[in-house]
Amino acid sequence: MLRATKIAETAGVPGVALISTGFMQQARATARAMGIPDASIAEYPGMIPMDTDDQLADKIWNKVLPSVVSSLSTDVPSTVKHVQEPAPRDIVFSGTLAEVQQHFLDKEWSDGLPVVPPTLDLVDAFLAWTDRDPQELLGVLPPEFREATAWSVAVNGVMAGCRPEYMPVLLAVVEAIADPDFRLVDAGSTPGWEYLILVSGDIVAALDFNTEAGNMKMGRQANASIGRFLRMFVRNVAGFRPGGTDKGSIGFTFNVALAENEGAIEKLGWAPVREDLGFKREDNMVMVQSVIALSMPIYNGGTDPETLAWPLVRFMEGTAGPYAFTALVFSRWHPLIVMSPSVAEAFASHGWGKREIRKYLFDNCKIDARSMEHYQMHVAGKEVPLAELVRRGSAPALYAESNDPKRMLPMLLREEWTTIVIAGDPGRNQSRIYINNHDQGPSVSKRIGLPRDWRARIAALRGSKKS
Amino acid sequence: MDRDNGTYKVVWPLGRSTETAIALNARFANNKAKRIGFLWDYIFRGDQMFPLIQAGLAEKFPGSTFVPHTAFGNIHGHDEREVLADLPRRLREEKLDAVIVGVGA
Repeated sequence: MLRATKIAETAGVPGVALISTGFMQQARATARAMGIPDASIAEYPGMIPMDTDDQLADKIWNKVLPSVVSSLSTDVPSTVKHVQEPAPRDIVFSGTLAEVQQHFLDKEWSDGLPVVPPTLDLVDAFLAWTDRDPQELLGVLPPEFREATAWSVAVNGVMAGCRPEYMPVLLAVVEAIADPDFRLVDAGSTPGWEYLILVSGDIVAALDFNTEAGNMKMGRQANASIGRFLRMFVRNVAGFRPGGTDKGSIGFTFNVALAENEGAIEKLGWAPVREDLGFKREDNMVMVQSVIALSMPIYNGGTDPETLAWPLVRFMEGTAGPYAFTALVFSRWHPLIVMSPSVAEAFASHGWGKREIRKYLFDNCKIDARSMEHYQMHVAGKEVPLAELVRRGSAPALYAESNDPKRMLPMLLREEWTTIVIAGDPGRNQSRIYINNHDQGPSVSKRIGLPRDWRARIAALRGSKKS
Repeated sequence: MDRDNGTYKVVWPLGRSTETAIALNARFANNKAKRIGFLWDYIFRGDQMFPLIQAGLAEKFPGSTFVPHTAFGNIHGHDEREVLADLPRRLREEKLDAVIVGVGA
């Protein structure tokens, strides 16, 4: 709402945003972040989805309308002011370790855990692992529209507990979320999505990611600190902070980076994810997507491919459920499957690869029309016929080919939008499914750019660790 | 870190702000007829709210004309980027005195 309101005001047209009570705090914080601190907001009292038509009419007539009229009729004195901000190398605080921790908590620059103090020598050590200029602009990130630079990546990488040599991965991660297709602007939405980072390439071994048992648990520095970095970066540079601009209602804990098991992929003879996405085998790649739900552990047993794949279908349907309607509203949906090498080997032994698994899921993941139409009432207060979504152009025509509410419809929009990553315990036949939030945080991938002397320096690091 | 006395000299973890803050446009100076538009995210019952708000504004500002949300497209749909990019042109084209934007929920 505030985006459109600012566009209107910038175009010379007074705007009034309608905001329900529970979103007033976020709206005010977002308005300040977006540079429209005095935005006119008319409050809708209470929660829209739970009001009857009569209650809604009463509130509009007696509460919202007077506020709209007042907002349109009363000039607002401007509170816009220019604030001088620190330059990159300015020292903004000096103190003991405990004092630094408290300062960062007080300023809301921390994720709540202790941070590594970002001193100039540590930041410079990170910058030494990229050929980029420290002030090279990677993007401008909403809602505060601050510049993401190699410098700010290094500072937050230090704070998150990363190692300097992770810098090429951190830069690619930020390039991914800065891509307009990622829609970072909606990262404060109520589903409360988090970020799933996937790393693919020989950099996985070089940086010692865990790709096997417990790979998505805290415990390995590369997985844990790179996952933490992104949340820290989004908080500090984009400006998403829970309780303010971040309106995640409950939220989703997700702070461990996923890495593909290159050895298992080679043994299978399958293409790694980076090749699925159009990169070269010799490239290193980062992919980032949103996550709002994680399936139960899925055990894939059986002696034929359909039986092996059946639990993936059932758990995909169960994990997403009627929320799948959002894919039809926003025309995007990118589920991701983490599959242990043993499950992939079983599929491969029957001649199935990722293409066959994706096709089976696309053909068999179904949901009834009635559930998708009805669930929109729970989210927003009103059912929406699938035919209406087809009419808007956001859902494919086949969703309106019948009016039978019991008809079973495809849950997935495109076969190729399901990503399959080989990782996890090779000694157990398990998979898990990660559900993204429609067009908010779709799969966005970037090639990892390495400094010129990368291989020699990594080899030297390995040598020094062994000695 | 200043290793001699155990203090840490730290830098700022944010990035330079590029956002230009704006003041609001002048509000209505009188109760004469206006031209008012509606913008909707097509999610939270705006289609029920807008007719009621329109009726109230028509009473308060007699002779006003209104541009429905359908004239602008969905400000939070699958084509949001295109709709918002085109919005300044559309607002000027409609010669609006104000817009009501809904619904944040």
